[in-house]
Order: sequence, then structure tokens, then C-alpha cells
Amino acid sequence: MTIRDRVTTLVAELPKEPQYPTQGATVFVDLQRREIARGYTPIRVVKTLLAGRGANMYYLHRLLDESLHPLHPDVPLIFGSGVLTGIVPSAARGNATSWSPESGVIMDSNAGDHFPSFIRMNGIDHIVLFGEAAGWTLLRVKAGGIEFLDATPYVGLDNIDLRDRIPHDFGGTWARDLAMVNVTRAGENQVLTSAIMAGPKACYARGGPGAKMGSLKVKAILVQGQTRDFETAQPYKGYNRTIAQKLLETSVVKHALKTVGTPFLYRPSRMLGAMGTKNNQETTWTDKLDSDNITPYRPGMAGCFRCPVNCRPLNELNQDPQDKYGRGDGPEYVTLGKFGPNVGIDRIESVIRLNNICNDLGLDTASTGSTIAWAMELYQRGLLTQKETGGLDLAWGNADVVEQLLFGMSRREGFGNALADGTRAVEKGHFPNEALRYRMAVKGLMQSDPHDARILKAFALGLAVATRGMDHLRNRVTLEINARINDDPAFKERLYGAPVSAAPNSYAQKEVAVRACENIYAVGDSVGMCRFTTKLFNSPSLPGLEEFSAQIQNVSGLTFSVDELNNVGHNIMGVERMINHRLGVRRADDTLPERWFDEPIQVGSYKGEKIDRGEFDAMLTRFYEVSNLTPEGVPVDGWRQQLQQVLG
Amino acid sequence: MISVLLPAALRVSDSHRIEVHEAVHSVAELVDAIDRRIPGFRDQLDDSVFNFAVNDEMLLYQARERALQDGDVVEVIPTISGG
Repeated sequence: MTIRDRVTTLVAELPKEPQYPTQGATVFVDLQRREIARGYTPIRVVKTLLAGRGANMYYLHRLLDESLHPLHPDVPLIFGSGVLTGIVPSAARGNATSWSPESGVIMDSNAGDHFPSFIRMNGIDHIVLFGEAAGWTLLRVKAGGIEFLDATPYVGLDNIDLRDRIPHDFGGTWARDLAMVNVTRAGENQVLTSAIMAGPKACYARGGPGAKMGSLKVKAILVQGQTRDFETAQPYKGYNRTIAQKLLETSVVKHALKTVGTPFLYRPSRMLGAMGTKNNQETTWTDKLDSDNITPYRPGMAGCFRCPVNCRPLNELNQDPQDKYGRGDGPEYVTLGKFGPNVGIDRIESVIRLNNICNDLGLDTASTGSTIAWAMELYQRGLLTQKETGGLDLAWGNADVVEQLLFGMSRREGFGNALADGTRAVEKGHFPNEALRYRMAVKGLMQSDPHDARILKAFALGLAVATRGMDHLRNRVTLEINARINDDPAFKERLYGAPVSAAPNSYAQKEVAVRACENIYAVGDSVGMCRFTTKLFNSPSLPGLEEFSAQIQNVSGLTFSVDELNNVGHNIMGVERMINHRLGVRRADDTLPERWFDEPIQVGSYKGEKIDRGEFDAMLTRFYEVSNLTPEGVPVDGWRQQLQQVLG
Repeated sequence: MISVLLPAALRVSDSHRIEVHEAVHSVAELVDAIDRRIPGFRDQLDDSVFNFAVNDEMLLYQARERALQDGDVVEVIPTISGG
């Protein structure tokens, strides 16, 4: 059965009219034939999985042919926005979903800026791309329609130049009446760590989305049109003010996100002795990268569509207009960690510059930084030499070489071509088999953040079981780092629905907390809420299921109790595990890098801490039990049949 | 004497450094001592964003019970949880 057959069958089943106020269409784009088909996500699917990430999984489940390979044009790339995206403060997010060419499991990446909101204002909730275009294509979304345009003039442009060029050619102003997702040369070259850029910095980063979009020969999707209000089921703006107020009154927003952004986390992580350093061989690093040292280079903050938080730190290293990388967006904590301690760099100016280069080249800083750190450790151990690196000295802290590697990766030139295959460098024959021992990845995906999780066992479990691979944004029990919460057992029990051990390095009951976080974050992704402003991620007082429930009803007229929403989050994880099972994922894949089992932490008050294999395995078993999963990590029979019935 | 370093986010004093000379034996007693000097300090600290570190050691739990001795440096650290 071809992708066209699958799409035809699916579209025939889909309603032809919106199923609730504000619902947008799902648009199926046949790039090869330049044909469009439309439908609406059925209400049974919405009640089970919502929209955004949840409904994306429905479409992937229906359209995926696992006998192909991830970059095959018959494997679709699916964009989806949440039920509240573009309508509610801080709900500006959407997901890009496919079969990851980097990891080999599901690819599901989330981004904000303006694109997810702008497609909704064009009456579109999901865009399903499939088939290889005959030539490089730019899709233009305008007044609800989609046009196929020749993208040849834009081929070879990276993010900065492309975003300079588009307003000249099409008119309009970014963020006012223009939004775009695009690939850079890295995506054109199918670099496995490449992102789909959604703004100057915002991107669908994880799992190689840029490579997937590049394989379809889509350079960009441009959305034009004035912003507008939505016709909702009932008035919603009053409750929006309540949500905005809740956001702005939350301590972590006032004291950190609005003023400095996520680099705040660097200092506590390094003081704890949990800052991944030199590919996690060490776990602490210099205070020269503390967020205070970024302040002189931070002229202001920016934000996503209609978000009152504005958590994105801007940077300015100099005022030289000739220096393309003298200013930009970021860095976030992830980038600070990956291009600071993890590669042995201790100059904040170098980290900021490398951040700006990654944003232009369209590289996922997590996977890219981790891949470079991996290669540096192999070089340190003599498993790679200058013979393989083309004469480059991969010594720790060599920022000039890191910069050269970024350009080499994006163009697949020299040793950069080896790194462009990310976690697959061994499989592709670039690195020796022994290199796998030092690869900091789970399910084929490099770790998203720099936090070394040998101390906090809930963090470790989350990284092991995350459905897209080693990523903290799927389920991290981040509040484990807050003493105020750990020291109040009754409050902690209310947060997670059952007792959870106060000790961060204990394995006891951590499965309960991971389950709760995985549920609420999946719901957040499916309504379009930012992770940073979703309850349990950065604070216990941010908007959560209660607020989502109320505003979903106002906006769409659909009623979900808090428990029902929690079940939706659980269902999304269940469907993702069903898809992963089709892709060969089993219990043995819910694990951690060998280093964390074998090598204890060498510094700080948790010196000697590592992951005990027996304790970890028991914790994983308990996680499967509280998650209603079989011993192989897929939904148990009755639940699986229910989900299968909804998916069709 | 115990030195206390405060973040800019915690605006309770003109200085970011407070010195406590009276005898205190735990973080909880330290907070009480400062609250007597700066009323409202305890309430401001009752916030999950603030963690304590003693001599650069982050306290993730049982923070208020942590024993202190003369010469310790206690730091209040705003802790964003994830990013």
C-alpha cells in the first residue's frame, strides 16, 4: 500500500466539517503531484488524544509504513498545533512528527515562535507532507489555501539570510503578518542533527526534523496573513487574563524566566556536581559560565506569539554589522551546557558565538553539541586521530575547531560529514564499534540537556523511558531539585497523586512522579502550551490540567474533566509506545548510557553516586506497572484494543 | 559568624551579603535570625524557586535542618527547574 493509498483511505474517513469551534483542517500535501486533500480530526480522536502532538500521533500511526526508512518520501512529516495554540497566553506551540532519521524511533519535536499560531489563523491545525517534490519547493499558506512555489532561489540559504530575504520577496513583517518554518543547508544536506527553524532561534530540533523536511525537498512553509481572534464556543478572554496573571505572578517566571531565562539553571547544576562535562566524564565546570556572565551581552528578552513571559534572552557580542554572528537569540541552558562544559569551553563569548552559528546553520544544539563531545572523547582516547579528523585537533575547549566542525557538519564536508550522521556515526562506518560505549544516547537520541542524571533518579528514569529518546522535555520531574517541595511530603504527594520519596537520589516511588509529569506534558503539547509555563515543569503554581480543562471548554465547547485530561496524556504515551513497538523498540531500549551504570560521580556531596542496575530495573518495572504497560513496555491488552479502536 | 549571600531576586536588603553574628545551629535558625532583623524575610523565602547552598554544597532536601557552624557561607540560589 503506498502513502497515497493510505492518505486516500484516511481522508475518506475524516469529517469534512469542523467538529468544534476553532478546529482547523488537516491538510494533506502531496508534494510529488502537487495535490491537496483536506479533512478534520474526528471527535473520537480529539477526545482521546486532543490535537497537536496527540493527533499528530494518530496521523503517524495511520500513515506510517515501517517497512520503509525514515527519509523515504512515503514516510510523512506532520505539523500540528494544539487546541489552544494561538488563543491562550503562552500557548504558542506546535509539534513536528515523523519517524526519526537520527534515532530510528518516533520523531516528535515541539517549537513555538509564530508558525504554529499563524497556521491556526489560516484555519489549519495539521499539515501532512508526503512524496518527494520534483524540485525544491516553498509552500505558501495564505487565506487558508496552500500554493506550491519554486524554492530554487532560496536553496543554499541558511537561517539568517533566508529570513532577511523572504520579507523582501513576499512583503510583510515577521511576527505581524509573516511566519515560517524552513530548513537550512544542513536540512538540504540531510544532516541528522538538523532542525526545522521556526524563527531566529526557535526550532523543531530533536530527531533530525531538518533532514526529514529536506528529504522531501521542502525548503520552507511560509504563512501570510493578519493575526485575528478566533470564534470560540463561549467567551474566553476573561479566563485568558486569569491565566496570564497566574503566569506572571509565579515566582520562577518573575525571578528567572522573564529576566534571565533558562541559563539560570547552569549554576545550581554545576554546584550540585551534575553538570555534564567533557561528554559526562566529569560533572562540574567553571563559574565563568554562570548566567551573571551572560548579562553584559543580553540587550533584552524576546518571546513567542502572545506570550506575556518573554523568556528568550537576546544576545549582542559586538556592534559590528559585518560580524554575522555578533548577535542573536539565546543561548538557552541546553546550549550553554552543550557548548560549554560538555566540550570543555570556558569562555562565555565562545558559547554565545557558537549558539548564534547553530541558529543560523539550523543545527539542534543538543544533538550537535553531544556529537562533537562524543568525538572529542574518542579523540582523547585515541579512537579517533587527526587521520580521521582531517588534521583537526579535537582537544577539549578548542572553540575554533568546534566552529569549523559546525560548518563542516552543515555542508557534510570533511570530518563534518561523519559528525553529520550524529548517533549513527558507528552504523555508518565513521567511528569504530568501541565508540558506542561512550555515546551518551538512549534509543538513538543524544541527551537533550546537560544535566548528568546519576544523582537524581527520577531524572534518570525519565530519560530512559521518554518515547522520543533521551530527552528531558517529555517527562522530567524537574521539581526534584527544589528542597522546598522535597521537604513538604504532603504537598509533594498532592502534586504527583501519590507519595514520592523526598531524597533526590532515592529510587523509591520516582515512577509515580515520572508518570504524572509525562501525562501533563503530553497534554500541554496537545493544547499548545509552552513546557516552561506548564505546571510541574518549572513550578507547582503554573497553569495545569485545571486551567487547560476550563479553557478548552471555553474555546472549543468540549468538556474534559481533569482526570479525563490526565488520561489523554496517558493515551498519547500509549500510542507513541505502540508506534515505537512497530519500529522495534522493546524494554531493553528503556535504559541509560553505560557510563551512568559503571562510573560514579567524582565530586560534590553526592560523590560516588551512580545508577544501580538492579534498582533501576526494579524502578522500570514499577514504572510499567503504574503506566499500565506490559513487561515489554507497550499498553496492556484491554487498553491497547481501546486505543486501536480509536485509531482505526 | 555566618555569611549569607542573597540573589538580586530577593530584595530584602541594600546589600547582597548579610552577616549573622548571633549563634545559629541550622539553616532554619539562620532564617529566623535574619527574619528578626528583616521582618518578612522568612515569608519571601517560602518559595520553591529558592534553594540553599552551604559552602557551595546545594541542599536538595532536609535543607532547613542542615547544621551550620561558624564561618559557613550560606547562599540563597534561585533555581529554575528545567530548560
